[in-house]
Amino acid sequence: MKKLSVVVAGTGQIRDVEIQPGTTAGDILHQLNLTDYLLSKGPNEPFFAAAESAYDKVKDGEKIFASTKAEVGVTVCA
Amino acid sequence: MRVKPLGTRTAPASIRDLFSRVRRGQTPAISVQRRQIPYWQEHGWTLEGTVYTGTYQTPHGSFQGWIEQERSGHINFFLYNPSLEIRRHSHWTCFQHRGSDWYLVHMGQQPKDVSSGIITIERLITEAYES
Repeated sequence: MKKLSVVVAGTGQIRDVEIQPGTTAGDILHQLNLTDYLLSKGPNEPFFAAAESAYDKVKDGEKIFASTKAEVGVTVCA
Repeated sequence: MRVKPLGTRTAPASIRDLFSRVRRGQTPAISVQRRQIPYWQEHGWTLEGTVYTGTYQTPHGSFQGWIEQERSGHINFFLYNPSLEIRRHSHWTCFQHRGSDWYLVHMGQQPKDVSSGIITIERLITEAYES
């Protein structure tokens, strides 16, 4: 088991969770009712894919961020 | 006799305190409250009315910006004088010049809050420097 603090970027609210091996980023977001959000270790780190095991990527007690999905330009500029 | 006792005196308070702590064992832990503030605030942005001013912070430097939140909820993100690295990025076409070296960053998918938008732009700037 690992303990994680998920910081909701928009509000600063911190949600503490405990995850088991194999827990995915999607599982965490679903459990916290944060649909339309993405998890990352910070702005300079890639987002976790929903099906990716978050357990393997985080350390016990680590703080990670949940931010809403946003994309620069895609629909118009890509 | 090589040692001649001259009497006793009280040790300084700091030494007495240290020994007293050792005798008592570990003192109870103090619970430190975590600050629960939005990302924009934690990263030094300020809000005046509907306008946020601050910097997009990356390992490659801080980049001046401002953000306007419209009544409709739509958020406009601006970046001042983007560097050459940013101008060379594949998303440079998404930056619209708005005069005086300020550029509007066009969001194909709008973030639901200002903090998420700041994170997105910081990620884009980092990408521009690392690609």
